[in-house]
Amino acid sequence: MDTLSPYKEATDVILEAGGEPLKLCYQCGLCTGICPWNLVRNFVVRRIMHEAQLGATDFGSEDVWTCVTCRACVQRCPRGVEIIDVMRAMRRAVASLGIGVVPDALRISAKNIAGVGNPLGEAPEKRNDWAKDLKVKDFASGTEILYFPCCIPSYDPDVKTVARSVAAIFNKLKIDYGIIDTGAKCCGEAIRKAGHEDTFQSLAQNNISLFTSKGVKTVVVSSPHCYHTFKHEYPELGGEFEVIHITQYLASLIDEGKLKFSKEINKKVIYSDPCYLGRHNDIYDEPRKILQSIPGLELIEFPDAREEAICCGGGGGRIWMDTPKGERFSDIRVEQAAEKGADIIAIACPYCFLNYRDSVLSMGKSETMQVKDIAELVAEAM
Amino acid sequence: MEETKIGVYICHCGLNIAGTVDSEGVAKYAGTLPHVAIARDYKYMCSDPGQDLIKNDIKELGINRVVVASCSPRMHEPTFRKACQDAGLNPYLYEHANIREHCSWPHAGDKERATEKAKDLVRAAIRRVYYQEPLEIKEVPVNPNVLVVGGGIAGIQAALDIADGGKKVYMVERDASIGGHMIQLDRTFPTLDCSECILTPKMTDTGHHPNIELMTNSEVVDVSGYIGNFKVKIKKKPRYVDIIKCNSCGECAKVCPVEVPDEFEMGLHMRKAAYLPLPQAVPAAFAIDKRGTAPCRIACPAGVNAQGYVALISQGKFKEALEVVRRTMPFAGVLGRVCTHPCELDCERGKFDESISIRALKRFVADYEMKAGREKLKPIKKTKKEKVAVVGSGPAGLACAYDLIKEGYAVTVFEALAEAGGLLRYGIPEYRLPKDVVDNDISYIQELGVEIKTNSPVKDFGEVFNQGYSAIFVGTGAQASQKMGIPGEESKGVIHALDFLRMVNSGVEMKLGSGVAVIGGGNAAIDAARASLRLGAKEVTVVYRRSQAEMPAIKTEIEEAEQEGIKFHFLAAPVKILSKNGQLSALECIKMELGEPDASGRRRPVPVKGSEFTMDVDNSIIAIGQSVDKAMLPKDIGYTGWGTLEVDPITLQTNLDGVFAGGDVVSGPADVVVAVAAGKEAAISIDRYLRGVSLTEERKITPKKVENVSKEGVQPAARSAMPMLKTGERKGSFAEVEQGYDEKTAIEEAKRCLNCGVCSECLECVKVCDQEAINHEMQDEFVEVDVGSMILATGYEQFDPSVIPQYGYKKYDNVLTGLEFERITCAGGPTWGRIQLKDGREPESVAIVHCVGSRDKNYHEYCSRVCCMYGLKYAELIKEFTKAEVYEFYIDMRCFGEAYEEFYQRVSEMGVNFIRGKVANITDQAISEEENGKLIVTAEDTLLGKLMRVPVDMVILCAALQPRSDAADIATLFTIGQRGDGFFLETHPKLAPVNTPTDGVFIAGCCEAPRDVPDTVAQASAAASKALSLISRGKVTTEAAVSYVDESICHGCGRCEEICTFHAPSIISKDGRLVSNVNEALCKGCGACAVVCPTGAISIRHFNMQQINSLVDGLLEVHNG
Repeated sequence: MDTLSPYKEATDVILEAGGEPLKLCYQCGLCTGICPWNLVRNFVVRRIMHEAQLGATDFGSEDVWTCVTCRACVQRCPRGVEIIDVMRAMRRAVASLGIGVVPDALRISAKNIAGVGNPLGEAPEKRNDWAKDLKVKDFASGTEILYFPCCIPSYDPDVKTVARSVAAIFNKLKIDYGIIDTGAKCCGEAIRKAGHEDTFQSLAQNNISLFTSKGVKTVVVSSPHCYHTFKHEYPELGGEFEVIHITQYLASLIDEGKLKFSKEINKKVIYSDPCYLGRHNDIYDEPRKILQSIPGLELIEFPDAREEAICCGGGGGRIWMDTPKGERFSDIRVEQAAEKGADIIAIACPYCFLNYRDSVLSMGKSETMQVKDIAELVAEAM
Repeated sequence: MEETKIGVYICHCGLNIAGTVDSEGVAKYAGTLPHVAIARDYKYMCSDPGQDLIKNDIKELGINRVVVASCSPRMHEPTFRKACQDAGLNPYLYEHANIREHCSWPHAGDKERATEKAKDLVRAAIRRVYYQEPLEIKEVPVNPNVLVVGGGIAGIQAALDIADGGKKVYMVERDASIGGHMIQLDRTFPTLDCSECILTPKMTDTGHHPNIELMTNSEVVDVSGYIGNFKVKIKKKPRYVDIIKCNSCGECAKVCPVEVPDEFEMGLHMRKAAYLPLPQAVPAAFAIDKRGTAPCRIACPAGVNAQGYVALISQGKFKEALEVVRRTMPFAGVLGRVCTHPCELDCERGKFDESISIRALKRFVADYEMKAGREKLKPIKKTKKEKVAVVGSGPAGLACAYDLIKEGYAVTVFEALAEAGGLLRYGIPEYRLPKDVVDNDISYIQELGVEIKTNSPVKDFGEVFNQGYSAIFVGTGAQASQKMGIPGEESKGVIHALDFLRMVNSGVEMKLGSGVAVIGGGNAAIDAARASLRLGAKEVTVVYRRSQAEMPAIKTEIEEAEQEGIKFHFLAAPVKILSKNGQLSALECIKMELGEPDASGRRRPVPVKGSEFTMDVDNSIIAIGQSVDKAMLPKDIGYTGWGTLEVDPITLQTNLDGVFAGGDVVSGPADVVVAVAAGKEAAISIDRYLRGVSLTEERKITPKKVENVSKEGVQPAARSAMPMLKTGERKGSFAEVEQGYDEKTAIEEAKRCLNCGVCSECLECVKVCDQEAINHEMQDEFVEVDVGSMILATGYEQFDPSVIPQYGYKKYDNVLTGLEFERITCAGGPTWGRIQLKDGREPESVAIVHCVGSRDKNYHEYCSRVCCMYGLKYAELIKEFTKAEVYEFYIDMRCFGEAYEEFYQRVSEMGVNFIRGKVANITDQAISEEENGKLIVTAEDTLLGKLMRVPVDMVILCAALQPRSDAADIATLFTIGQRGDGFFLETHPKLAPVNTPTDGVFIAGCCEAPRDVPDTVAQASAAASKALSLISRGKVTTEAAVSYVDESICHGCGRCEEICTFHAPSIISKDGRLVSNVNEALCKGCGACAVVCPTGAISIRHFNMQQINSLVDGLLEVHNG
């Protein structure tokens, strides 16, 4: 029989990260039952927790990199175990102690982020090219709002429309906003979850000192991942900003009567809750409110919505890793959306955008189904 | 004065103290301090030899103050106080220092400093004890009666133990029967005895025991007093059935028209509003479930019991339904047609989908009688000698006459016109209210003995009194038409609405031109317009000065008028009537716009300058308002500024003695039902006036509106449409437009009623009860009892699994809770014990889900303790009675009791499948053939490390036991505590498990924590023995270290009274000033009062300033230098 040989230093890191609640895990397996991976393949979350408790983690296992950090398990764990923290700690141990292998795709993205400040490996000076032909001013001291679009809408040619839509809306409503200069870097949320703590620290420091030096008070973001780290992780490092997700901001403009629609969108739209907006930050109503305010638009819901929503598969650094066909959560979602007769999948997260875009394409549904960020729909209906 | 000699004793507590504190050194040090006569250290001071050291020193050395430094005073202060007392020293001349919890345990490993700290504590105690004073310990007798709250198995057991011991027990149970949750259980693990079989004898014993006074439907509302001497106030809620007279024949339930889910059967079954709480109910009597008055009945100005007649209609009891209407007022046919039905606006069903068509149902029962024919009634016997005159035979007058004749008065109605009915006959056109309907309602009143004298105008009330009438009701209406006051109003072709309608309704042949303009927006305007159309007018236009939204006419009437082709010209008013040869030819009108709201809250119309226009018309009917015709009334009667009669708003009495008034003559033009209500109010006044009692006192009994009407399980259903006469058939005909429901529709419509108040007070039960046991007038009753001790056995509630949406409870038919399954397996339950699915099939597979709402920080963190065992019991029963596969989804099996593990083995042997894992999800979304039509239970089998999808037919959720939702209120009432989980807190989990911080109050059963029947019974007997022990002791000592008041500086501000949770201080008047007075028996000596007292008038004995200061000084002395 194989015997276990705990690697003390690494297991200490995990135990510490899991904290007291990890000790409380009573191995009921609810996490396994809830985990969306088990819709497509085996992923025994409970066993990983038990291995962590006993210092028996298999750092070489693929399981180290599987969790999408969607929080479905944490939300319902009867003992309050912070399962995501445990997963992150395992990855940290691999990445920093070199006791396992970081998957290739992740390693490249991590290298890009560390090197040029964005996962795509694009030149930093091109960060604001998406806004070139739009009248978007640079953020300067006294500007009310910093709009921070996230790396993907800044660089990805398909996703740029998200950032451009926000700029169009803001321009039309004469919002006093600006974008930060090209010294900005990736927010670091996902690379931190992928175990690259040092990279995160350096990204966060860079952004905090940049924002602070420019006099930023309020940041409006398009990505729930930027939202999450700016709101919950940057303050620990001294970065205190008011952080608003674009859906919150647009909903408040509707409430105040500032944002009005003049065009109809006569489509069936299904909204997919991003994990980092919904379960991580409890924002469920604002995106729906915006969609319901658009004339002609019929909002429909996934069978599992809100707290029960299935992840697109892109959290926890998974966006950079390869997920074989047949195991992609976004494929399941697109199938569900098609069954419901949706014309458009509305999203509020750049990672969701990428995953749904790929699923719609690879499933041959691009004729009948579109993927659109809520900001795009708002811009169209104004 | 005697010299102070302090004895100091330092305990080693084995090595517990001595391992860290140099006990010997501390003793030596203590010996050097002032007034210390002897200082010793000893291995175990609490042992007999240790205590003897103290006793001997007191006796032999004359020690008169004692300090012991040992463990916690909570543990051993009483021990050493008693040692002092045994040796003849007052126990309050003792002081305790805690050098174990405060020194050796927190400072283990630092002997030197721990010892220093011990010295400090001992020194402080010595300083304090020097100033201590002997206190007197008082004794009070114990009342031997016991209160038991809760009639479940715990309460029953405790009550029987005490009662069998010969002592009196008052048992208070909130429900209509005792039995609690246990009587709902089918069988009890692990022996599987039938719960009914073992509990019923105990319930009956409790009901019949000479020493037990059972109060069901009752709740404790106030507790005062203290151990041995409590005073308890109990509210006995009405059962509406006399438990002594009731012989449980069940006839009341048979005729009761109202069905609600049966709580005892966990809603799996329906019961009537008159019901036997459970088959073995104790007391063995039916009860009537009233939850308040239905909103429809409260909304009705006349207070007609709408729920009552709707409920009876739903059962096809039309005659009885009409009787319910007529219990309140005589106009079923009339108001079934023309009522503005405020009842429907407040109808709870309207909050769900559409309100019940209450008015149409009332009309249906009236029509039903007219069709079937009514036997002539016997006149009501006149039991009163006085006669009452009613002037005016409109709805107000007749309603008043109706109520008075029922009270036994002779009533004569004087009517000026040729026929009775007032506005009902002469104001409302036949297409809305046929004359035979009016006739039928009025003849009903006449048959009861009301005399109606037509063609008899009354102007001189004096003459009426002279004719022998003792009181008069004036209900002459508002019959004068208001004039517009514009030029040309007297032209031919212009007629006022009331005159017009009177002529139409009297059958006078009327000729109208082709174009008719009706001016006004009230009901008279719409009636006149629709009547005009029927008289042959080609084009009828209603001209109204405001917009449609402000129109006071009934909305449906306006809609009907529109459908019939009547035109509306809003925001316009005539300014001049143009005529040719004295004959109306056209109206000159002006356009209006809406300005600021006026006194009526409607926006005031303002003319738009220069917007005049003309309308060519042949006739114009003016319907802009009615007023009281003063010429018809005596001169000396008083009026308001509005020209209506002035009456007292409550009694409706006019300025003339014995003359009352109501209806339009008082209110101005209003609804028929409002007039009826006024007639009824006046009848109350006249009866009181004639009986010579106060007109106002205790007059209005405000009924309690029912709250939180459950709409659970209600299926949406639209309101039944009223069949209407086709619009094409309406012209030239006064045939009734609304055709009324048929029987089937009426019953269907009535069945939509939610029965808000539960009991509808239709009173059918009263008719069939030959024991005369039913009394719907029963009220809350309050009783006060004196008891010496109290046992709380208030039980638990089942956790509601619908808060875990993933488990599909209440979403899927065959997901049940444990208690529901208990009822299903019970031979007396809704399926007669057959384990079956909702559709009646026997399940082929069943999942039993453990830990639902327990062991889960999202719901309850505690283990609910009984679920593993009852889950096994279900598996056993399913295996025994069906062929189903059983899956137990568990996390840990907890089978801790006697024969429990053996039961687990037995169930395992039966082939039950055990899956170790918490269920993640229950769904009906199949992904394979074998899952089709099943409920799929998902969980990881953690022993295999595999995710399982188990398709089953039935899921039983082992829902947690949780504290009652009002546990906090009960805790406050009895001054006891709750744990963090909400259950009641015992004094000590091991050594005082049934005691509470309030002496004399004990707890037993699931109110303290989830527990099974054996443990509950044991605990109940424990609580009973505590109570009995208190009774046999016969007396209790009270705490001597209590607060006292220096009355000379007390201001009587009452802050002490406010802060005290034990109700010890109260403000009394003494020698003309308010001062605080402390009931020493209640005081616990906590000192809260002393802290809040602004003048320092309140202090605590044994904790006076000198004692406290010397202690603090002693602590700080060395360190301060």
